[in-house]
Amino acid sequence: MNYFFESLWAIFAKDIVTELRSKQVLPTMIVLGMLIVWVMRIVSEAASLSTMMMGPAVLWIAFLFSGLLAQERSFSTEEQEDCISGLLLAPVDPGTIYIAKLLVNIVMLCVFEAVVVPMVFLTFELSIGGKWFEFMGVLLLGNIGISSIGTLFSAMIQLSRVRGALLSILVLVVLMPMMIPAIFALLFLFGVIPEEVAGTGFLALAGSLKTSVGYLVAFDVVFTVACWLLFGFVVQE
Amino acid sequence: MRRLLILLTLVLLVGSTWMAFTLGEVVAVENNITVEKNIVYVHVPNAICASLCFVVLLVAGIGYLWTNKPMWDYIGAASAEVGFVFATVLNATGSIFARPFWQTWWTPSPRLISSAVLWFLCVAYLILRTSIQNPQRRARICAVFGIIAFLDVPMLFLSARVMQDMHIANVKFESAWQGAAFGLSTVSILLLALLLVWLKVDILKNKARLESELTY
Amino acid sequence: MVKKSQNNRIDESIIDVISVSKSFGTRPVLNGVNLKVGRAQGVCICGVNGAGKSTLLRIISGLLEPSQGSVKLCGLEVGSEPEKTKSQLGVISHKSMLYPDLSLSENLLFFAGLYSVKESRKRVKELLEELGLASYRYDRTGILSRGMLQRLAIARAVIHRPAVLLADEPFTGLDTEACQHLISVLGKFRADGGTLVMTSHDTRLGLQCCDRVMVLDKAQIVFEAMTSEIDTDLFVQDYLAYAGNRD
Repeated sequence: MNYFFESLWAIFAKDIVTELRSKQVLPTMIVLGMLIVWVMRIVSEAASLSTMMMGPAVLWIAFLFSGLLAQERSFSTEEQEDCISGLLLAPVDPGTIYIAKLLVNIVMLCVFEAVVVPMVFLTFELSIGGKWFEFMGVLLLGNIGISSIGTLFSAMIQLSRVRGALLSILVLVVLMPMMIPAIFALLFLFGVIPEEVAGTGFLALAGSLKTSVGYLVAFDVVFTVACWLLFGFVVQE
Repeated sequence: MRRLLILLTLVLLVGSTWMAFTLGEVVAVENNITVEKNIVYVHVPNAICASLCFVVLLVAGIGYLWTNKPMWDYIGAASAEVGFVFATVLNATGSIFARPFWQTWWTPSPRLISSAVLWFLCVAYLILRTSIQNPQRRARICAVFGIIAFLDVPMLFLSARVMQDMHIANVKFESAWQGAAFGLSTVSILLLALLLVWLKVDILKNKARLESELTY
Repeated sequence: MVKKSQNNRIDESIIDVISVSKSFGTRPVLNGVNLKVGRAQGVCICGVNGAGKSTLLRIISGLLEPSQGSVKLCGLEVGSEPEKTKSQLGVISHKSMLYPDLSLSENLLFFAGLYSVKESRKRVKELLEELGLASYRYDRTGILSRGMLQRLAIARAVIHRPAVLLADEPFTGLDTEACQHLISVLGKFRADGGTLVMTSHDTRLGLQCCDRVMVLDKAQIVFEAMTSEIDTDLFVQDYLAYAGNRD
């Protein structure tokens, strides 16, 4: 157990240090995110859409696409000098490598959000009404979901020919079930649409903040565990 | 054996289609307006088939990772491809029937999103397959993606419930014969799917054999 | 000189490759390869490109799973107890497996951490001095020349004092001086009781740090001998002629 945390920390710290030194991805992520927000703001003006309606969607679009950059970096840095073999030769469990990479991606997204979220709030004139805690919670859950899938898929497409494009397709498709409650959670939180629960059974409408967050948590748990278990198969040759 | 299955599938398909056209309209009540819904004979079995393909994908994925037998990989690939075909038909028929009743080809509603994502998942699987050269690595990666794709489907069905559904909840069959026709068409389309998977597995097997003979 | 059969010569085998086969698709790369390596032996595996040398090393290192057969390292099955066997193993290949953005000592400390090396700072300092890299300690690994990088790769591979060092084409891209330095480092590793298995297409260099040589061809071991039993120059000559014909 001790070794788990030691190796986890070692890989995590190594990745963070490498990123801080090379400044390979974080600046690109932030600039891409800002551009997306900016373009969407112009779109909302041109289409005279309510900024309150668009804000949450813009947030997620920016996270998704900028997140892809962080995730692609996860294993492309390992591939350069065949470092991934070095990691696999060490007595580290592949699951530990996955968790470390996942944490790195989550941290990168958090740093990214620290810049882009205020920008969205300013340009889209959003107001949260004091529900900061809930807002951060939803963002973090979204981060975990985006990164858990992205980290696994980044390792998956390591040796394929069209990496970036492929990663974006796979990640965006598989993230659909998470994006629906994620977007709705923010819409409920901002009070843009009313919460509504109707009917019973499988097809009942479950449109409330609580259920959306519930689905987010379920998604995060299911996919983080599944990816952690499957990671070993993905990195071996 | 296979010829028999082909024959049986053909007979059932023709039979169920004939029944569907002759047994009169299936009716659904939507916003207090009664609408005809003969589409159920094709649309619903297709949805069942497409969903089942993902179950096969899961089984094939686990099977491959467990045993490393290429056969499981072929089954997974075949079911993804067949799933793609059925998901295409599912979305197409849905779209065609949506237009006259909802005045729109497509609208973000839980079940419409779900079937669209089914289609995208199949496409993503097939694209992923073509992008990896090494057969063993391809099989392993596709197995992993198949398992993830399967997990995605129930999450999708569940989480889409946060939004309003405009899709009709259920249809009423006027007579027992209509029920029978629906059952028959479901069986025939399932058989068709099975047949297609079988053929595709054979094709993949032979292709792999030929490729290895050519390179060696 | 007493000539004995291979199996008698080794009392205690540290690497035991038992009828290993590996095929990519249906193309066999290794076909029933058997190999026993004793403690402190140095084995050089020669062969033309695509003979299966690297594949064999990757299978021994556990990076690749054999299609058939098994590999034992220090008596332990490689696949079954990866944690124990991995700590007995160091690997260098033509890629350094080092992070260009970290400094030399950071790189080594990182790997020391993964292998839970005791007193890692002392060990890293020791190694860097031993390999003549101490003055570059705080430089980025990315600026190193090929020869220095390869030395650092060896430091990474032996940081946890492994019993076995696997070297896949370690001489690739090195000049004569760097090659000689590498040979002396590998020699020292063996003198300290380490077992070395290396592949090389440059037979002459390979023979300088090994006491056993084998030739891999058409997925099988076609020749093997102790270097003390053969005329090295003659062997190199024969091998070159043979490899030339194969190509």
